[in-house]
Amino acid sequence: MNIMVALLRREIWEHRSIYVVPAVIGLVVTLMSLTGQVVVSAFDQAVDLAVFGASNLGARERSAAITVLMTAISTPFILAMSVLSVFYLLDCLYAERKDRSILFWRSLPVTDAETVLSKLATALIVIPLVTFLLIVATTLLVLTISGIWLSLRGGSAAQLIWSAAPLAENWLAALVFLLALPLWLSPFAGWFLLVSSWTRRSPLLVAFLPLVVAPMLERILLGTSWLRDAIFVRSGSMPLFRGVDAAEYLFHDGDQLKLGESSATTLLPLVDLGKFFSSPALWAGFAICALLTAGAIYMRRYRDES
Amino acid sequence: MTRLIEARNVSKRFGATVAVDDVSFDVEKGRITGLIGPNGAGKTTLLKAVLGLTDCEGELSVLGLDPFRQRKELMQNICFIADVAVLPRWIRVSQLLDFIEATHPRFSRARAEELLAQTKVRSGAKVRELSKGMVTQLHLSIITAVDARLLVLDEPTIGLDIIFRKEFYANLLNDYFDEERTILITTHQVEEIENLLTHVMFINDGHIVLDAAMESLPGHFVELMTSGSNAEKARALRPLYERDVFGKKVMLFEDVPRTDLEGLGEMRTPAVADLFVAKVKGAPR
Repeated sequence: MNIMVALLRREIWEHRSIYVVPAVIGLVVTLMSLTGQVVVSAFDQAVDLAVFGASNLGARERSAAITVLMTAISTPFILAMSVLSVFYLLDCLYAERKDRSILFWRSLPVTDAETVLSKLATALIVIPLVTFLLIVATTLLVLTISGIWLSLRGGSAAQLIWSAAPLAENWLAALVFLLALPLWLSPFAGWFLLVSSWTRRSPLLVAFLPLVVAPMLERILLGTSWLRDAIFVRSGSMPLFRGVDAAEYLFHDGDQLKLGESSATTLLPLVDLGKFFSSPALWAGFAICALLTAGAIYMRRYRDES
Repeated sequence: MTRLIEARNVSKRFGATVAVDDVSFDVEKGRITGLIGPNGAGKTTLLKAVLGLTDCEGELSVLGLDPFRQRKELMQNICFIADVAVLPRWIRVSQLLDFIEATHPRFSRARAEELLAQTKVRSGAKVRELSKGMVTQLHLSIITAVDARLLVLDEPTIGLDIIFRKEFYANLLNDYFDEERTILITTHQVEEIENLLTHVMFINDGHIVLDAAMESLPGHFVELMTSGSNAEKARALRPLYERDVFGKKVMLFEDVPRTDLEGLGEMRTPAVADLFVAKVKGAPR
């Protein structure tokens, strides 16, 4: 256990982008919300009217509005996390071979399995958790800034934001999503680890070329599109969510969008963990990830670099 | 256990080439063994097999363990420096100590810090900011702070200037070595470690061509400086190797009694480097 903690800490030391990238995004999002408020403030009267109007909204409508804001804040983090994880996984077993520090790491009493698993755990758990913490911090920052701004415009931050914000529910939903996404995509994580442990050059190209070429070859040679579905449909169809209908978020009333009586005002009701964990595709993905990771461990152990 | 390494008929092939060919040897506790061989002779491959970094044919036991299959257990009792460049460049000295402290049960952080305090290596520095010599000092300090039974050094001082090299070996002897510890070392600069060694092993073309205690060398080998008709007489005694020095002949004999060479010229015990050349170039393959 101690060794695993040390190994995970080591990954964060080496790959500072794990926290630097989400921190920069948090900074940009915060600055954008600041400038947004400055720009909007130019429309003096309209803003006053809007603040006045917001004060008259029901608590549920205000909750829904803040949920939309929180979703918007989280989106860039999630996109960045995906890119970050890919680059991390491709680098983690490649860089140590390239700078030959692998000989030093292997001179310590740590098994290759422990090392490779720590890198997989970094991608599947540590990166999402760090991203989550920065989402929480950014959300609090943006809401605080908005609250101050509202107060300056004569609105009540306590009423408009803090009493209405469904923070816990939305954060929980975000956390579940951030942890579920890498699990769902774990076969890709395993593939990237394997490429990283094995390729002599340009891991990015070596990793992505087969993902594009193999489905094309399958189509041409066999006429089937199993690989295309496995690679491209999978990455866009995580079975974590109930349909949007289930939550009955908004409905059309004439030409106006309205919030239904029983509709949810947070993201949490969308999440369906039962459906997620009972999905055969998820478990098939775990199996593939396990095989590819075992391949990466084997490569690290048997490959003789010199 | 006094035999730390036992190798019986160890071979390692890379495709058609045989890097190590049916090698057998022992290394006992308390020895400092120099493994000496030309480039491509198989010394690094042999060391890698000993360290469990590569698998091999034959029987190889290090500290009673199968090095390739029990690498983790082995590494608790072995340290090695494979080359000066292997410390990761991005890491800070303090992080390095943290990591080793957490993963190595026999590492003493206090000892490492005490040793580093005698150098210019600062704990906040990153490895990439250190000079090559300082990186080696760092690595040696770490290894000295590990209570390991066997230390394997593969070209530890390559690319270092003479001052660092002298210091390295002085520290190795003063801070690391005692009768409980054993060192296996390869280097090109044989002259510098000659006085350190208790044993030498020569390896050439994957074969061990000499495996002897340093103190046994004078009994087996003699170098004769001679010239003229004496050279002809000496040549009849079949020297291992002959070379010219300032117009004189220097011949190296193996297991020829010194009394036979009496009066033919000046006799002395050969330097390890000369012995090595004689063994590798002069010996019938």
